[in-house]
Amino acid sequence: MAARNRPVDVVIVGFGWTGAIMAIELAKAGISVLALERGADQDTVPDWAYPKVLDEVAQSARNGLLQNLSKTTVTLRHDKADLALPYRQIGSFKPGTGVGGAGIHWSGVHSRATPEELRLKSHVTQRYGAKFIPEGMQVQDWGVSYDELEPHFDRFEQVCGTSGKAGNLQGVKQAEGNPFEGPRSREYPLPPLKDPPTSVIFAKAARELGFHPFSLPASNASRPYRNPYGCDLGPCNFCGFCSDYGCINYSKASPQTTILPALKAMPNFSYRTHAHVLRINTSADGKTATGVTYVDAQGREVEQPASLVILAAFHLHNVRLMLSSKIGKPYDPETGEGVIGRNFCYQLISSVNTFFDSQTYINQFMGAGGVGQAIEDFNADNFDHGPLGFIGGGVMWGRQTGNGPVRGIPLPEGAPKWGSGWKQAVKDNYLHTGRIEAQMSNMAYRGAFLDLDPTYRDAYGEPLLRMTLDWQDNDLRMSEFFNEKLKATARTMGATSFSGRMLKRGDHWDTRAYQSTHINGGTSMGTDPRTSAVNKYLQSWDVPNLFVLGANVFAHGIGANPTGTVGALAYWAAANIRSTYLRDPGPMVRA
Amino acid sequence: MGLVAALAIGTGVVIAVARHVPGPGLSPAIASRTPDPKHGAYVAVLGDCVACHTAAGGKPLAGGVAFNTPVGAVWSTNITPDRDHGIGRYSLADFVRLMRQGVRPDGRRVYPAMPYTAFAKVSDEDLQDLFAYLTRSVAPADTADRTGPWPPHWPLAFWNIAFHQDRRFEPDPHLSAQANRGAYLVQGLAHCGTCHTPRGVGFQERDLDGRTNLFLSGARLDGASPVNLRGDAGDGLGRWNEADIVELLATGKSIHSAVLGPMGEVVADSTQHMTPADVEAITVYLKTLGPAPAAEGRATFAASGATLDEIKAGRQTDPGGRIYMDSCAACHHLGGEGAGRSLPSLAGNSVVLASHPDSLIAVILRGDREPGAAAAPSRMAMPPFAWRYDDAEVAALATYMRQAWGNRAPPVRPSQVREARRALGIARSRPPG
Amino acid sequence: MSRDTDRRAFLKASVLIPSAAALGSSAALGQPGPPADDAARSAPAPAFPADDHYQPAFFTPAEWAFVRAACARLIPTDANGPGALEAGVPQFIDRQMGTPYGDAANWYMSGPFHEGAAEFGYQSALTPKQQYRLGIRAIDAWCAKTLNKAFADLMAAQQDDVLKKAEVGQIHADDVSLKTFFTSFLLKNVMEGFFGDPMYGGNRDMAGWKLIGHPGSRGDFAEFVDRPQRYAYGPVDLYGRRG
Repeated sequence: MAARNRPVDVVIVGFGWTGAIMAIELAKAGISVLALERGADQDTVPDWAYPKVLDEVAQSARNGLLQNLSKTTVTLRHDKADLALPYRQIGSFKPGTGVGGAGIHWSGVHSRATPEELRLKSHVTQRYGAKFIPEGMQVQDWGVSYDELEPHFDRFEQVCGTSGKAGNLQGVKQAEGNPFEGPRSREYPLPPLKDPPTSVIFAKAARELGFHPFSLPASNASRPYRNPYGCDLGPCNFCGFCSDYGCINYSKASPQTTILPALKAMPNFSYRTHAHVLRINTSADGKTATGVTYVDAQGREVEQPASLVILAAFHLHNVRLMLSSKIGKPYDPETGEGVIGRNFCYQLISSVNTFFDSQTYINQFMGAGGVGQAIEDFNADNFDHGPLGFIGGGVMWGRQTGNGPVRGIPLPEGAPKWGSGWKQAVKDNYLHTGRIEAQMSNMAYRGAFLDLDPTYRDAYGEPLLRMTLDWQDNDLRMSEFFNEKLKATARTMGATSFSGRMLKRGDHWDTRAYQSTHINGGTSMGTDPRTSAVNKYLQSWDVPNLFVLGANVFAHGIGANPTGTVGALAYWAAANIRSTYLRDPGPMVRA
Repeated sequence: MGLVAALAIGTGVVIAVARHVPGPGLSPAIASRTPDPKHGAYVAVLGDCVACHTAAGGKPLAGGVAFNTPVGAVWSTNITPDRDHGIGRYSLADFVRLMRQGVRPDGRRVYPAMPYTAFAKVSDEDLQDLFAYLTRSVAPADTADRTGPWPPHWPLAFWNIAFHQDRRFEPDPHLSAQANRGAYLVQGLAHCGTCHTPRGVGFQERDLDGRTNLFLSGARLDGASPVNLRGDAGDGLGRWNEADIVELLATGKSIHSAVLGPMGEVVADSTQHMTPADVEAITVYLKTLGPAPAAEGRATFAASGATLDEIKAGRQTDPGGRIYMDSCAACHHLGGEGAGRSLPSLAGNSVVLASHPDSLIAVILRGDREPGAAAAPSRMAMPPFAWRYDDAEVAALATYMRQAWGNRAPPVRPSQVREARRALGIARSRPPG
Repeated sequence: MSRDTDRRAFLKASVLIPSAAALGSSAALGQPGPPADDAARSAPAPAFPADDHYQPAFFTPAEWAFVRAACARLIPTDANGPGALEAGVPQFIDRQMGTPYGDAANWYMSGPFHEGAAEFGYQSALTPKQQYRLGIRAIDAWCAKTLNKAFADLMAAQQDDVLKKAEVGQIHADDVSLKTFFTSFLLKNVMEGFFGDPMYGGNRDMAGWKLIGHPGSRGDFAEFVDRPQRYAYGPVDLYGRRG
């Protein structure tokens, strides 16, 4: 028999980026807000105090800040005919845990989805014709427009103190900025970070090749900054411990640095840690959420009643909670019907290490997660896909994120992996190696989806989420297109040699090596309840007092990093809950 | 015989003095005034009553904050209107006598941890309003005061004779009304001198009303060195403009520095809640204070980029400078400039430059956390470094900081670090190797 | 609202003032209080490498001989400086076996276990401790059978040859994949030990960092990041020692 807590107005499942955003925006409306976090409480000091956290063994090799997979994980397979196997060790993607969630160990790249991506089906159909969309690809419009989201993209950037240079201010192109971005209402809150050597060399080469390099927007502060909540950020010092690490000096935007100081001071807000939510509870007719049930630190089941439930955990937990709570119709890849688990996507990354002569110092140990120069000449529909025959695009960049030797020292092809030859090679190359990458959108396909695994269970006895995903012909042809751009860029950069992982036809999703944590889709947003789980306000079509946040609401993959869009969608949903839902609870879109 | 007689007479005098209950010094006109408890609540903020009279987990203003001392424990008292345990039976005169003389209605003396030497300056009206607030707006709490037979309270009568003058604030005709309002607050309710004015042989504040330039010139207390608030360009507020001081009092941070140690709580509980007019008045008054008395070792500051140039050229060989690179620069930066309001500047920082480096050593050893204010809620924290360096290394680091970037202050000796570790109870935990 | 201890500790001094004066005593100002909570929680566990007489806690003498011999070949001491053995890497690995990692505490280790395509990663039921136990036994058994000696007793060139065979999957065992053992445990942990912070027992004198020019845990390059030159300062470890 579960214990029952006092009801609250709003219960938020998960206390990372989206949970923090929703908590402060709804608490400002004066209603009682409770956030539930499965992990521990944590903050800059003591949890990632300088210099203690600058420890590659603890953080990178042992994944100190990441989800403990012994408690819960997922299973993986390429095709629905395969047997899914558990994700036993951290590999391809890195879910976080604890207060702040993945907002602690992220890099800081802070981009926006493009206007075309948000209405990709309409856009492709208009420009290339409906037949251009291959059989089995399930692209669709998101239901929200770029113009609607713009104030919320902006808001999240202002909160994070994003460093960057606008390329399109209210429709007017700006020199040095990204000329392909959607129109911005104003400049970034902070100017771009200093460029490290990799970025300088990449930008020069990109320019020579006729591309349009710009400073990648980074939520690693370039200057001291006070955000709209009054929270302070210090400038990034390029310590080189960013992705995988908590920030030592308050320069990387995280819930802790940008929202929680203000939120925790609000008397109508509270949060509970070590509260692992098992399910969203619903009324007998299944049409109203009544709260959630969680397991507390002592292993007791506790019921938390609430008038409004916000699902704000990481992608895979949000989708699993929808499935295990039986909210919305599960997706069936045979019939193409159902919405929960539908349109599960990821991103593709091709990564090239560029090796330079002994006089060219890159100093890869310096860097910041988001710092770099990038091009979006081949993102979204910024280029003519007609002759290329694929849909989607990506961002190419020369970032210098900071890399230490435990994280792996890239070596030229053919270098020994151990012994005296290896020793000579790491000595010769460590200071002279850069990396350029292409990060590409992964479209939605009928055969890529999420459901509950029939075999494997987590430490709470619940079935694991099962991922069925592989790269499709469209994606790999896009990757081959990018591979040529990468090679040309590496050569133009003057690298003495280069090597790397460049995806091509015949390759499959490799879940071992880290690529990014940008999994998305599964509870898509959209205009049609037959193909989306939530409406344009991220409100469940089936349970109107349930809102679902996170990259799981993406209708399909995008080229840029997702966090900027995830944050913007959270602000968008919060604004509409405040302006509309709280005054008139009920469905905000009539299906 | 003479000796016995002298002893007898002396004892009689002692008893007479110790039992003497002075008058409250209230103007008769107060009897016809209507008190304003709402304003009294604000007076309580100005005086930061809650800091000492609300215990962790206890009822508001019910006292019970323990002060464990080598001569015995004392506790702050219940100042709620409970009739048996608080001040519910006090008359206004009783209350004012306590506030100005440190004498309770039963004649018992209170220790001047309760800063009655400052509160003596407070006006009849403010005390009347404060009394009205405490007795009408605060919920009574039946928390009994804790007292013991030791330490004795009667010697305080003699301390009062030697060091306490029950005098109301007197405006300085040379100052503006605004500056006089600031002086009234600084010398009275806000009791700034309790920490910031140096003390004499009897541990009395050496200047309670700003007649000399010792007032607020920086002090040493309990392992800390509250900073010089006078106009010195080195360790004082000489380079601060009024807006900087206002910002520090309102948010705990400014582009020059952030508050440290107990001042954090003063900002959290008191100064951030003051009206803008009062904060400005305090600021204007502080800016009228000239430099502290010239003394050997008084710090100076003249910004210099030479330190940073040496570091960038790869020529940093100073042992303290190398430690700074390894442990401090990640936040405070190699140029010592910190980061605006976010991370304190060390160049020209009055804690770094203070005559006595106690606070500097303490913050290196055990770190600190900013108070967080409504207008600037981030509670930036500095982690401790006691575990990373031995006494000689901490001394070398502190000395470097006192002499880099244009800072000029005397060096710190390893023995000072050793003493600080002992006083703060921080063992040298760095393992051998 | 909680009251910080700082202010009370501070005000204690004021409390003492009159009694000290009145009693003619200048008795101690400021009793020691507990260090701030942050102070207690921020210090890393003091753990430093002992000397070469290190007694392994996990490995048996035979296993220890293997680990030391393998370390000496994977990162040999040569003209470029100390190798893994001199840098204390065997000790690092032994100490790691005593951490939650040794028991795969943060991995999903529930069955059923199936071998899958390589892209699906580690699918073995073996913990790192078991990998070492079975992996070393299998390699030593292969050496004994094929070369009549334990691995540790072979000539360096022979050891290299054995390690290469294990690396590419040419040595088979029934109970452990030696290719996985070599790549995902032995070689990976050797690299971690050679380049990880010295407080874990390896990277003695920061030999690994000095080899490649890594500055360790200094973590401040604001003034250097836009200067494509050699960084002028040597490494520092978490305990503040410089190499």
